[in-house]
Amino acid sequence: MPLIGAVPQPITSAPLVFFVYLVLILLIGSALASVLLRNTLYGIGAFAASMVLVALLYLAIAPFLLVAVQLLVFTTVSAALLIGLLRATTGLTASNVGRLSPEWVIGAAVSAVMFALLAVVLGATAWPVRPCCALPLSLGSTLINDYPVAFAVLALILGSAAIGTGLLLAAPTLRSPRGGGSTTARGARR
Amino acid sequence: MSAGLSLLLVASAALFAVGVLGVVTRRSTVVMLLGTQFMFIAGALLFVAFARFGLGAERATAGASMALFAGTVAAAELAVGLAMSALIYREHRSFALDADRG
Repeated sequence: MPLIGAVPQPITSAPLVFFVYLVLILLIGSALASVLLRNTLYGIGAFAASMVLVALLYLAIAPFLLVAVQLLVFTTVSAALLIGLLRATTGLTASNVGRLSPEWVIGAAVSAVMFALLAVVLGATAWPVRPCCALPLSLGSTLINDYPVAFAVLALILGSAAIGTGLLLAAPTLRSPRGGGSTTARGARR
Repeated sequence: MSAGLSLLLVASAALFAVGVLGVVTRRSTVVMLLGTQFMFIAGALLFVAFARFGLGAERATAGASMALFAGTVAAAELAVGLAMSALIYREHRSFALDADRG
């Protein structure tokens, strides 16, 4: 296989170019919001939006399996970990936003769009693992056949992270002069 | 007007800069972790961009594979980092990294 071949052409289709530019602008904006917002919960929301936007960007330039994994695994796991941290520490108070308020309607619309996108991704993805039948899938076979050592190292890293996280959370904490210490009390502060 | 490798390189650099901004300027461990996540995403985006538009495009799935590996490592790092953040919060009732200073 030659190392240097014909350089692939950039995307020139006008709608796709507009889509890529729009997603990139929104991605940088949401990333900035994520690190600059003072409210941690809003920052986490902006981070989740960034992860979804990365998946949308992959939609234009990457295999569909990567879109699916980014959208279904990485976004969900990251958001769940962050929300879990907030629930375990500062606590999340119940929302005081009433039904059919503008915020509720916007949130429902965004959720509907997300579910539609998930349905499209789930339906169109060529998953590397299925209950039966052999699947000649390029990305799946690349992962398993071309990078077995990386796969094993990744499994090791994930296992170590799981054990380390469990040990850290189970470790007893010292009571600090400022009134901290091991407790499960939850305040309302965000 | 087109969207090619240079655009994605600039976007990736911007995303990495945002991550560095979050790590350097904020004291909250949660936001610092989000900053590292953005740096991971910027690296993964580079892999995908070079696989799609670069000279190694004959094996486009290699870039996606690297992005998958990077994303998984980022998730593992996030889990450990959040556990450390939880410990810091238990000790000091704050996510601030320098809460015990002074």
